[in-house]
Amino acid sequence: MLLQMNKITKSYGALKANSEVDFSLRKGEIHALVGENGAGKTTLMRILYGMETPTSGSIVVNGKQVAFHSPSDAINSKIGMVHQHFMLFPTFTISENIVIGREPAKTARFDRKQAALITEQLGTSYGMPVDPWKKVEDCSLGLQQRVEILKVLHQGAEIIILDEPTAVLTPLEVKELLIAIKRLAAQGKSFILISHKLQEIMDVADRITVLRDGKLSGMVNAADTSIEELSRMMVGRELLDLHKEAPARGEKVLEAVQLTIKGEHGKPKLDQVSLSVHAGEIVGIAGISGNGQSELLQAISGLAPVDSGKALLRGRDVTGKSVRSIREQGLAHIPEDRYQWGVAKDATVLENGLMGHARRYQRGGVLRGAAIRQLVSGWVEHFGIKTGSIHTKAQYLSGGNLQKLIVARELAQETPFLIAAEPTRGVDIGAMEIIHGELLKRRADGGAILLVSSELTEILKLSDRVLVMNEGRIVGELPGLTATEEEISLLMAGG
Amino acid sequence: MDQLFDVSLFASTLRMITPILLAALGGALCARVGLFNVGLEGLILIGAFSAIVGNHLTGSVWLAVLFAIVCVLVFSLLLAYMAIHLKANVIVVGISLNFLALGLTTFSLRAIFNVKGAYYDKSMVGLPKWDIPLIKDIPWVGDVVSGHSPLVYLSIALVACLQYYLFKTVSGFRLLAAGQNPVAARSLGIKVTHIQYGAVLMCGVLCGLAGAQLSLGQVTMFTEGMTAGRGFIALVATMLGQSNPLGVAGASLLFGFMDALSTRLQGYALPVHFTMMLPYVVTIIAMFFFKDKSYLAEARKANESSR
Amino acid sequence: MDKLKGILRALLQPLLAIVVGLGAGAIAIAIVGGSVTETYAEMWKGAFGSFYFFTNTLSRATPIMLIGLGVALAFRAGFFNMGSEGQMVLGALSAAVTAIYLPGPAWFKLVAALLAGVIAGGLWSAFAGWLDARFRMNLLITTLLLNYIASLFAGYVVSYPLMDRSGSAAMAQTVMVDKSVWLPKLFQGMSLHAGFLFALIGAIALAWFMRYMVKGYEIRMMGGNPLFASYGGVNRGRLMLYSMFVSGGFAGLAGAGEVLGTQYRYLDGALTSPGYAWSGIMATLLAGSNPLGTALAAILLAALQTGGMGVERNTDVPLEVSSIIQAVLILFISAKFTYSFFKKKKKAGA
Repeated sequence: MLLQMNKITKSYGALKANSEVDFSLRKGEIHALVGENGAGKTTLMRILYGMETPTSGSIVVNGKQVAFHSPSDAINSKIGMVHQHFMLFPTFTISENIVIGREPAKTARFDRKQAALITEQLGTSYGMPVDPWKKVEDCSLGLQQRVEILKVLHQGAEIIILDEPTAVLTPLEVKELLIAIKRLAAQGKSFILISHKLQEIMDVADRITVLRDGKLSGMVNAADTSIEELSRMMVGRELLDLHKEAPARGEKVLEAVQLTIKGEHGKPKLDQVSLSVHAGEIVGIAGISGNGQSELLQAISGLAPVDSGKALLRGRDVTGKSVRSIREQGLAHIPEDRYQWGVAKDATVLENGLMGHARRYQRGGVLRGAAIRQLVSGWVEHFGIKTGSIHTKAQYLSGGNLQKLIVARELAQETPFLIAAEPTRGVDIGAMEIIHGELLKRRADGGAILLVSSELTEILKLSDRVLVMNEGRIVGELPGLTATEEEISLLMAGG
Repeated sequence: MDQLFDVSLFASTLRMITPILLAALGGALCARVGLFNVGLEGLILIGAFSAIVGNHLTGSVWLAVLFAIVCVLVFSLLLAYMAIHLKANVIVVGISLNFLALGLTTFSLRAIFNVKGAYYDKSMVGLPKWDIPLIKDIPWVGDVVSGHSPLVYLSIALVACLQYYLFKTVSGFRLLAAGQNPVAARSLGIKVTHIQYGAVLMCGVLCGLAGAQLSLGQVTMFTEGMTAGRGFIALVATMLGQSNPLGVAGASLLFGFMDALSTRLQGYALPVHFTMMLPYVVTIIAMFFFKDKSYLAEARKANESSR
Repeated sequence: MDKLKGILRALLQPLLAIVVGLGAGAIAIAIVGGSVTETYAEMWKGAFGSFYFFTNTLSRATPIMLIGLGVALAFRAGFFNMGSEGQMVLGALSAAVTAIYLPGPAWFKLVAALLAGVIAGGLWSAFAGWLDARFRMNLLITTLLLNYIASLFAGYVVSYPLMDRSGSAAMAQTVMVDKSVWLPKLFQGMSLHAGFLFALIGAIALAWFMRYMVKGYEIRMMGGNPLFASYGGVNRGRLMLYSMFVSGGFAGLAGAGEVLGTQYRYLDGALTSPGYAWSGIMATLLAGSNPLGTALAAILLAALQTGGMGVERNTDVPLEVSSIIQAVLILFISAKFTYSFFKKKKKAGA
């Protein structure tokens, strides 16, 4: 056995992120690690990569017990990791990114020619050719991932951890990646593949370990299992089947007409996008992130200037209007990145909840303190937001609880139109069910919702209509009831 | 006009830019590792004062420069410790450091020399003026380039050295990496904090030299607050030069020239107030051409997920 | 419980800082060979020793408070406004010119002069804000540079076109403001003038505004996360101009108050050499941009300065010992020593 992790436990205060987890890896094996968000996959791998130290348990590599205190320790034991968010230097070239940390040098001089040579050889020998002199910021995400893998290989890794490697890739790139992984495994490299995309795992993995709530839920051979069994092991119970009634479609609430935002190098970020959302329906926008979804939402909500086209909210042209006047015309917005747009971390739960409501809870410019406290306390109770008090700073809330606060705040605007961008990214299953339930309730009450999500399951679960975006354009529309993941994936890839 | 733009104008430009250039190079190093060092002004001031003290105590101009470097190092260590180790807001620490520098130098001026406002001693020797053989005999060029203090030449050499260091050496490459994506650099086992400390301390050395040039090179005296905003102009030079040593040198040259010009113009009919305004006005106009896009990035950094 | 803890924490930090600052001062005193207790006793006497000294301290605190309040507002909104000096100078100059040359009844001239001060300071500050909002020019740097330009410009005005040529001394100053336009003194024979009341009212009003008004809330959120604020419908550019205008307006009022209440003319360098503006910024940093705290910190700094003068008068220790205490205070606060101390304790407890 190449790697053995025994009874790994990691606790943060009362919370146990990992509880007595066993894990093993053979040479040349692809071992998948699956589980819901928050099941403890990432924590386990951070421990293996030396970014966290386990509370208890042992790690044995090649028969030797090891204790990692930093990633360099792990690298020295020939363990490499490709993180979900790439660890690259955008303004550096590909070869610089690959050799960093072990640069070829003549005395103190960085020998960039030698680095390019190394990169070229590395690429050819592993069947992943790259242009060593190209800057990483000019590379597609698929190519960036290739750079990450080559970097890990250059560090001499025998064990390679891939954390959600396919999340940002097009289906074609996914296929290429899986082939590359298999080839490398055949050459003797061993892989740990973290994912929650069960189909991919069934395609490529030899063995599969399932985690649930920080505990080992099971370990099976891929050949002996099915997607259904894996889902059961992941969730541990049958999920509530949210009953979606046929839409009672009302009048048109939002209409976008040929919205366009120019980008650099003549390629538009948003290319003549037209769509409409009616009362009582959820329109889902699927697509790999970075294909114009953010720009579309910013154009509609007034956060980014539009170059041409217009947006109509309840029949009124709101193009180029201020965020405030668009919100007053009837828009609420669950933002895609809660830390960047959704909260001020140093402000309290109460202050964060007040955003967008301040104008209504005031008299002569003075805030009505008691009414506001009552409002926010109401949400905390209704949504089960876990916080010390409403005077706790937002930064002390977990991601899921913060998201619940944002969802509560935006739903409470009681606007006819709601944007829900990645409403459940990084939240636990409990919070996800609450948020999904609330969105469907809003739909039943006649709300119009524009849902943007990179999770196909979420899109399929909630949407009445599915629009697919690729390279700033809408490339297809499918009915929510009958659409399948395969159909959508194909459109997402631009085919 | 001939009289205005004569040889001594360019020669004094070269002299004037040296403190700004040295400090701006230090600021560039700090900026490259992600620290916006507003404390340059205070560091130069400490350098200028301790150079005079060193000269007074040892009688040797070289030991004085060394003394200035050591003193400034202590204070840049303080800045580094607070900004890197205690994670205090680097801008606030920089501003406070300027206060501390002003307070300390004023107090020490009283405590050590028992004078107020300025200290001047006729017996004190300033930095020597070096004549460059061969070049000094070339007409015009010789008059401009030759006959400056060694620190002037050192600063020019440092531009080339830093340019080479940052863009050609392994260590410089890692410094750039640490500044561009500290999380990624750390995950590769690069010691980001060490690099940051190194950059701030090097900045201290450069500011010490800048101070020494100010109080021992141009004149041989110390006056309260004699930096007169040079540290801030150095900061602008850092920004305008995009933290590239060569760019920084170009920007410093512009301000040095304006500074020299403003002194020169005082001999003419213009009111002295307007000529003195010149460097500051030019600086603001120059900033107009450098658009600072960092606020979005800053906001992102400040609010990025801590989990 | 949360609130009580918060207050305790807010108090502990400045108190600890004062102790450390005084400690550093004691070392400095010992180095120059003075007696620590005697020096500090003289310092106390110089600042609060008698009603005269006490009002003198408050009078020195007045411009520091006003400037500190303006800076606190800007800091809260997320802008490093370092331009108080220039804003104060232009406010003072405008107030002096208005009071001297505007025709009309005395009360009208007084009000107009104060307003002129506020507007001049505010516009100069808003100009820097505009450069940032419109052209993304780093506000910290532009405000610093604008200080030099403002001071030199004011110096030019009183050295050439509006110079007082009546007296024998050829000083760079305007003629004197008519006595009827002076701000009244609060106590007979003391230097404390009505400007102090402006500062007090300003502190309370600003504290109330930031805490309870919608605009104050928006300003705080903008300072906390500008993207969050604009996402929530706050117009960053406009709010930035407003807050910079008010911020500079406070500094302009400080200058106007000094001209109309103490100097009775604009004298070149009379406002810049005591370092009012920098003391104001220090007060803000000390109080963590809390308006009431800023007012208190301003009085503390003024006391250190007037106390330092007492020290200079009655001992051999130079008055600059107060600048050391001030600087160490501020450095200590900025390092958030106590804050990290608290965090560590919390972790240990968990």
